[in-house]
Amino acid sequence: MAARSRALDSADRIYFTLAALIGSVLLVYFASVPLLGLNVAFHFYLMLWITMASAFNVASGFAGYMPFGYVAFYGIGAFTTAILVKKAAFPLFLALPLSGVAGIVLALLFAPTLRLSGIYFGIVSLALAGICRLVITNMPEQLTGGSFGLQLGSRAHPVQSFYVMMAVMVVALATILWLSRSRLGKALRATRDDADAAEMMGVNVPIVRLYGWLISAFFPAVCGGVEAWYTNVVDTETAFNTLTTAKTVIYAVAGGLGTVTGPILGAVAMVWLDELIWRQFPLLNLLILGLATIILVLFLPRGIVGTLLRKKPQWRRYIP
Amino acid sequence: MTVAIETRGLTKRFGGLVAVDKVDLRAAAGETLGIIGVNGAGKTTLMNCICGLYRPDDGGDVFVGGERVTGQAPHVVAHRGIGRTFQVPRVFRRMSLIDNLLVPVLDRKAPDAELIGRAEAMLERMQLIDLRHNHAEELSGGQQKLLEMARMLMPDPPIVMLDEPFAGVHPVLCKFMIERIEETAHAGKAVLLISHDLTSIYRLSTRVIALNQGRIIAEGGVDDIRGNPAVIEAYLGT
Repeated sequence: MAARSRALDSADRIYFTLAALIGSVLLVYFASVPLLGLNVAFHFYLMLWITMASAFNVASGFAGYMPFGYVAFYGIGAFTTAILVKKAAFPLFLALPLSGVAGIVLALLFAPTLRLSGIYFGIVSLALAGICRLVITNMPEQLTGGSFGLQLGSRAHPVQSFYVMMAVMVVALATILWLSRSRLGKALRATRDDADAAEMMGVNVPIVRLYGWLISAFFPAVCGGVEAWYTNVVDTETAFNTLTTAKTVIYAVAGGLGTVTGPILGAVAMVWLDELIWRQFPLLNLLILGLATIILVLFLPRGIVGTLLRKKPQWRRYIP
Repeated sequence: MTVAIETRGLTKRFGGLVAVDKVDLRAAAGETLGIIGVNGAGKTTLMNCICGLYRPDDGGDVFVGGERVTGQAPHVVAHRGIGRTFQVPRVFRRMSLIDNLLVPVLDRKAPDAELIGRAEAMLERMQLIDLRHNHAEELSGGQQKLLEMARMLMPDPPIVMLDEPFAGVHPVLCKFMIERIEETAHAGKAVLLISHDLTSIYRLSTRVIALNQGRIIAEGGVDDIRGNPAVIEAYLGT
C-alpha cells in the first residue's frame, strides 16, 4: 500500500508539473505577443476561445449539459460592460467583474432549467438565449443603443484589453484545473454519468449542478465584457450571435470534453485551422471548417485528448 | 436486536398500478433479509421507496435507525446510512474506479489521502486494485457489480441493499460475492438482498419475505418460505 501511495504521489507530481509547464508556456507565449509585434487580434481571440471552450467544458464535460444558448452569458456580459461604462460612467475595471456578476445572475434565473436534461435542456437553453436577445433589443434605445448598438468611445485600448483577456484566461484555467481535482469536480462528474445514482450515493445533485452552472456562466460573461472593450462596440446581432455558441461547442468537443487540456488544445487547433482556411479560401471558410468538424467528430468522437486517453488509460493520471 | 430499517404500510402507485402494497418489513443489525418475487412483484420499487428515489403514497413510512426518513431526498437518506447497488450496474462510467469509490464519501472531513487509502483497500478486497485508474466503463459486467458493492460499502453504512447482485454473474464471481455479503452481515450491517437466485437467497438470508403483485405473501425463516404453498404457486404457477 505504501508503494502504491508513493506511486500516486509521483503521478500527482507529474500531473501538476505538466499543468504548470503547459500554463507557463501559454503565459510566456501570450505575454510576449504584443512585445514581439505578433498579431494581437488573432491571439486575443485565441485566448477568448480558450476561455470560452474551457468554461463551457464545466457545464458540458463536467456537469453533462449541452447549453445551446451559451452565448446568452457572453452577450449579457458584453452589454453589462457597455451600459455600465457608457451610460453609468463606471470605470472599466469595475464594469468587467460586474459583467461576470451579471452572468451569474442570469445563470441563477436559468437555474430552474437544470431540472431538464439532454436535448430538452439544450432546446430550452437556446430559447432562453433568444429571449435574452429580444429583451435587450426591445429595451429603450437610450440604454442599449438600439440596432446600432453601443460604442464605448475613446476607451479602446487593444494592448491593455489583450492583457486583461490573458488574466481572465489564466483565472479560468486555474479554476478549471482546481475543479478537475476537487471534490466538487468529482461530484459533478458523478452527476453527469448518472444523476440518480449519484444522489443515492449522497451527492446533493441540485446544489452541485448549480455550482458548476455558475462557474460556467461567469467566464463567458467576463469574456463578453472584455471583447466589448477590445472592439469598442456592442450590438445585439454580434453579442448574441449563435455562431459564438457553435464555435465554443466545436472547439471544446474537438479537444475533448471532461479534460482540462482538451478544450485548450481544441481551441488552439481549430482557431489556427479556421485562420488558415480563411486565408486560403475566404469564401469557403465556414464550409471547409464544417467539413473538418464532421471529420473530427466521426474519427475522434471523444476529441483529441479524450481519444488519446481512451487509448492510453494509464496517461489519465498525468494529463490534466 | 436493534431494528436498523423498518417500513410501515409502504405503498407506491404508478397510475392505476399498485407496485408496492402496504409493505411492512424490518431488518435488524447483522440480519440478512432476503426479498424474493417474480418479475414485477415490486422488489426494486420497494428499494427505490426506501432510499428516497420514489415518494411513498397513502401515508406509508420508512424508518432508519428508528428515525422517520419518508419523503426525504435520496442524498439525505444516504447520509442516514443506507447504501445500495442496482439491478443493472449504475457505475460512474467515465470516472476511475478510485473516483467511483470516493463519490459516497465526498462530504467526509477526512483528508483526501486517507479516503484514497480506504478506497484502495476496498478495491484490494474486491480484487479490482490493478484496474484502479481505469474508467468504470472499461470493466466487465461482473466487475462493475463488484465495483458497485465496493462503492456501497465505502462509507461504511449500517444498512445495505443489494438488488440482484448475482444476475448475469459467472458462478466463480458469484461465490466471491456471496462471501463478501456474508462478511458484510457479520460486520453487523443490516442487509436487504433481492435475488432470483433462490440458492443464494436461502444460503445468505436469516429471514425471507416473498412479494407478489406488490404485497407480502409470505414471511419467515428459510425453511418456512421454501415449503410455503403461496410462494410455490407464485413462482411456479402450480
